[in-house]
Amino acid sequence: MKNTLLVVLLFLSQFAFSQTGTVTGTVNDGEYNDVLPFANIIVKGTQTGTTSDFEGKYTLELKPGTYTLAYSFVGYQSKEITDIIISENESTAIDVTLQASAGQLDEVIITTTARKNTEAAVLSLQKNSINLMDGLSLESIKKSGASSVASAVKNVPGVSIQGGKFVYVRGLGDRYTKSILNGVDVPGLDPDRNTLQLDIFPSQILENVLVIKSATADQPADFTGGVVDIVTKDIPSREEYSLSIGASYNSDFHFKDNYLVSDKSNTDFLGFDDGTRENPLSPLQEVPLPQQNGEVVEAITQRFNPILAAQREKSLMDFKLSATAGNQYEIGDNKLGFLASLSYKNETTYFDEYVDGQIYRKDETDKSNFELLADRTQNGEVGNNNVLISGLAGLSFKTERSKYRFNVLHIQNGESEASIFRQSNFIISSNQVKKDNLIYTERAITNGLLSGKHSLGSENDWTVEWKLSPTIARIDDKDFRVTPFRVTTNSQTGEETYTIEPSESGVPSRFYRNLEEINLAGKLDIVKTHSLFGYDAKVKFGGAYTYKQRDFEVIKFSIPFLNFPSASLGGDPNLLLADENVYDPATNSGFYIRQDSNDSDSYDSEVSVAAGYLSEEFKVTNWFNAILGVRFEKFDLIYTGENQNGTQLIDATVLDKSDFFPSANLIFDLNEDGDEKIRASYARTTARPSFKEASLAEIFDPISSTTFIGNINLQPSYINNFDLRFEKYGENSDFFALSGFYKSFNDPIELSFIRRAYGQYTPLNLGDANVFGGEIEVRKNLGFIDGLQDLSFNANFSLIESQQEYSDDEREGRLDNLREGETLDDTRQLQGQSPYLINVGLNYDNEDTGWQGGLFYNTQGKTLQIVGAGDVADVYTLPFHNVKLNISKTLGENKNSTISLQFENLLDDDVESVYQSFGAEDQIYSKWNPGQEISLSYSIRF
Amino acid sequence: MKKFFLSCIAITATILFVSCSSDDNDIIAVDDDPTPVNAELKGQITEDFTLTNDVIWTLDGRVTVTNGATLTIDPGTIIKANPGQEADASVLIIARNAKIEANGTASEPIIFTSTADNIELGQTAGTNLTENDRGLWGGLIVLGNARASLSGDATENQIEGIPASDSNGLYGGTNNADDSGTLNYISIRHGGTLIGEGNEINGLTLGGVGSATTVTNIEVVGNVDDGIEWFGGSVNSSNLLVWSQGDDGLDIDEAYSGTISNAAVILGDISDHGMEIDGPAGSLEGRFTLDGISLFGNTITENGEYADLRDNAMGTLRNIYAEGFKESADVELDNNGVSQNFLDGKIVFQNWVLNGADNSVFVEKVGCLENCDDDNDDNDVLEELIISNPSFTERAANWTTTGSTGGANMSVFSWTFASSKGAL
Repeated sequence: MKNTLLVVLLFLSQFAFSQTGTVTGTVNDGEYNDVLPFANIIVKGTQTGTTSDFEGKYTLELKPGTYTLAYSFVGYQSKEITDIIISENESTAIDVTLQASAGQLDEVIITTTARKNTEAAVLSLQKNSINLMDGLSLESIKKSGASSVASAVKNVPGVSIQGGKFVYVRGLGDRYTKSILNGVDVPGLDPDRNTLQLDIFPSQILENVLVIKSATADQPADFTGGVVDIVTKDIPSREEYSLSIGASYNSDFHFKDNYLVSDKSNTDFLGFDDGTRENPLSPLQEVPLPQQNGEVVEAITQRFNPILAAQREKSLMDFKLSATAGNQYEIGDNKLGFLASLSYKNETTYFDEYVDGQIYRKDETDKSNFELLADRTQNGEVGNNNVLISGLAGLSFKTERSKYRFNVLHIQNGESEASIFRQSNFIISSNQVKKDNLIYTERAITNGLLSGKHSLGSENDWTVEWKLSPTIARIDDKDFRVTPFRVTTNSQTGEETYTIEPSESGVPSRFYRNLEEINLAGKLDIVKTHSLFGYDAKVKFGGAYTYKQRDFEVIKFSIPFLNFPSASLGGDPNLLLADENVYDPATNSGFYIRQDSNDSDSYDSEVSVAAGYLSEEFKVTNWFNAILGVRFEKFDLIYTGENQNGTQLIDATVLDKSDFFPSANLIFDLNEDGDEKIRASYARTTARPSFKEASLAEIFDPISSTTFIGNINLQPSYINNFDLRFEKYGENSDFFALSGFYKSFNDPIELSFIRRAYGQYTPLNLGDANVFGGEIEVRKNLGFIDGLQDLSFNANFSLIESQQEYSDDEREGRLDNLREGETLDDTRQLQGQSPYLINVGLNYDNEDTGWQGGLFYNTQGKTLQIVGAGDVADVYTLPFHNVKLNISKTLGENKNSTISLQFENLLDDDVESVYQSFGAEDQIYSKWNPGQEISLSYSIRF
Repeated sequence: MKKFFLSCIAITATILFVSCSSDDNDIIAVDDDPTPVNAELKGQITEDFTLTNDVIWTLDGRVTVTNGATLTIDPGTIIKANPGQEADASVLIIARNAKIEANGTASEPIIFTSTADNIELGQTAGTNLTENDRGLWGGLIVLGNARASLSGDATENQIEGIPASDSNGLYGGTNNADDSGTLNYISIRHGGTLIGEGNEINGLTLGGVGSATTVTNIEVVGNVDDGIEWFGGSVNSSNLLVWSQGDDGLDIDEAYSGTISNAAVILGDISDHGMEIDGPAGSLEGRFTLDGISLFGNTITENGEYADLRDNAMGTLRNIYAEGFKESADVELDNNGVSQNFLDGKIVFQNWVLNGADNSVFVEKVGCLENCDDDNDDNDVLEELIISNPSFTERAANWTTTGSTGGANMSVFSWTFASSKGAL
């Protein structure tokens, strides 16, 4: 803390020497999705000026005052931006887009004010993009008050977030939506998912987030819903430091005396475990049974941490800190920039009434009974502490015609959870169980990026861009502990007895899971401008190579006992491994550690994708822009592992596919300014099985009590995508878009239940599926009503219909369990696909007073969460109506500090999923209340 | 100053990267002499094969007899199974269409036990293990083509604990006269290893086993889960003894339709029910007959009950003798569905002799209908009792007498391990 203060003081003392301010920005080409290099920028009425560099970037150092800048380039309409205010030590960003002045002899000058131009720049990238793209700038992320990519990206039309972490684009989940970092693949941080979880990327490290919904040849072929590209901060154009602090209070979660925690390590607050939760046994340790070698069993058992119970203590509130620093230096004609960012977040949640994992069944013997029967009810308390630290450091070196960038990003996340659940079983078993669960998951991802961009050729008609990006990701589930007691209530006295009965309530167990994934990604893109049909055209070609290798390992132990009256523990999990209760060979009694691992839980896989592409972007006429391309990808999956039968594969090539992926994007300008457009696109894409799916793995999940069975014969599925969109760009950032899309899936992969083996699931290539839908997006400044110039309204609405055919087992399971009078449809909706998404926001922004505010509403339609298995009904996530309010005020002469206040979940809605069945009353699968949260934060820039 | 700022970041980053490695996980040497392996059984047995009694056989992992092969086991053969849990559990599976011909004799029974057991060739019992040494290996699973009443009226099902990727775990079919071979004078000891949460292997599992199969003179000692469990099927089973199981002694599911005669269950210190009886899971109905059963309870175990009839159970329970149970132990009809089966004559009780208890042990229970999901039991909405005037307990007086003889003929168990340990 002292150090932080010192840093702040040093910053302050360094203030106040330079007497100038700067204006910086990018000049964009209104004709193509590109920047405009070597454009002229002149301060009107002076000789002062500069030209944009090969990336379209420019910087001008000016004394404080108000200026007009003129932007011009041969063959383009000139643009003048008025009212540019330069303040001391301040950097003002002005991005402009120049339109071609095709066929016009007279010089056309378009004049606009700086303020209007800034707002318009947000849409500029989107407008000129050849892809169907939605961008979220850092500005709009800040406005929505989102603290991570996950909460920010929800505001994009057609995007929803599942479980607060995983992005769905157009209702298509992790198999069809790809998350990439700075344009290259990075490993996911969940052993069960293909995609990256987005809640670990704090908004502080972002430059912007791009959601690309239609494919072009230069994009990877394995996405269908969309690509979410997380772009980290670029190097600032001048010296800049910032600090921000914040705290949040939730009346349901914070300062509660009965908050639940597990045992802690000394470094939990830094997002990693200090070794306290490490497996105390060497991987080579043989674990005998007490009947074989009691002394060794005793010594082994004594090594384990005896804490198995969730403990109570007072919960703290959430807080976060972040700092950034960046600068740029002139080295001769070249520029060297650096950027460093560090952020820390510590969040605590506590649910005192958390219902989860309940099971309801259809009446199998009486089809006229519509009501669902309770098989398992389960509710309890959950305490969770989540620490997230991220560090980003970058260097860039820019010469006249080249730019090099080196970035390192590290994200460290530690999540500790303790819970106590009560479970009642009615049908499959008949008993009551109390469970203490202790969970700790450590995630770390380190990504490096080395990239270069070069402008070549005598007329700068060649652009070469390359990227090399290695990533290493680790997820360690450390010492998950589950201690179930059977609870028997004496019907006369009401007295409860707690016993450990492996065959009734399960055996106490603890396990360790490690996943390590290494990704190496490289990419080369070459663009050559040339002339075609009398217009400028671009040929784009390149290649990419991605290599991924993943190791997954599970180590499991259980804690059975010999000759011990378990009722004497009184239901206290911490007594199982208390000194006096550890197995003693002398008395042949007590609790001991037994190794339960098996080889079919673990696997080691490699994937490589080699790609090459060629595309041509050209104009046929003045108003018709097209990009046609084809991409080739060679995909190989190599697997090492074995199943329980002992069938073993070592470095076996499971998949080896070479495919061509054609794509076409057509853009029709409906008027000369290009502010009304129709876009049409077609692309072929693919969805590939994950490491875990195309395997022999047979993995029992003690948390959901289900078994996952890999399918080594799984094939990729192929998708044809069609998109049509009308766009209208107006004054004051007004925007309107109407889109329609259709996707047909060939042999889509879905996790399917196995009818003859209850609770077991395997991925299968199912029958064909279709998804179609529409999106509407409106952004409107309310300035047309007098006095409401500072208010703007934005809304987007998506309607999506999906049709998935059943697997044979699923169809039979459904037919067998139809109620009287119920019929089975030919298809059902895709798992995780929301039938509609709604985002509505009202923004207030007054630059003069510094007040900003926003009121946002977000919801998604009833979504199929779990596909029912025979007599178990389907589970649907019900809409969660989230209303939030942000208010912020910019302070100080230079507007360099901001204080903001945020309210979450104003409607105090519950998060709820229910079983639904024909004619039956809904029954709860899971339900909890996220509480209402109020956050206050302060940030300052130097 | 900037350097200072950067170094702050660098130091923090370094702290993040360095995680402390604990070096106190040295290997503890296990220096026992491993049991000498005479002959090992592993993987699949796809051709006829005989286990002879001149060596001790070791069962390593999941051993499956498939492809219509017959596994013959000579009298006096000892099979010791390796330890291992879940997928590594040592189990012997007789898949559908394969057979086991295990014909022991009273003096030369066939013994399945753990490698931790010090029993030697020619002996019928080791000295180091007791009835409380449980879960040291898996169990014996016999699967056949006879009918089972399955969820959704499926004709086949995967036996619990074997992943669906192994089709040798399937049982059930349409041939009630199916023949899986012979099990005669078999003692299964110290098994029941964990194969999933709350999912242990029974001592002897009979899945869809048909009536041409012989199952007689079987003993199961110290199993973690149930002693013997029938999943459907029609095989008749006789002279069965279960001692000190972790869960239920005899467990009937999925409309098993055979007769179990002359069986005894001796509860141990953690045993649950003497008998647990479930009904059909699909629309196929089948009724079991339990005839000549002795149940021996104790007052140590927390949950020792006589019998639980659940989930649409249907069958006949006659000539039953029970002694030694706790005062609170009962024979219960679990909910309205089961009680209705009793009223409809689908569950029949005849000639129960209770030693130290009377007809009050017969209890009608009710299921919970609403508000079952919360912790609060007070607001639960329960089913109504449906057996009235007279009540189930009152009606039980018709078939209950008090006495000290009845049930199974215990003399047929003199060959058993339980007998040699004085448990009878």
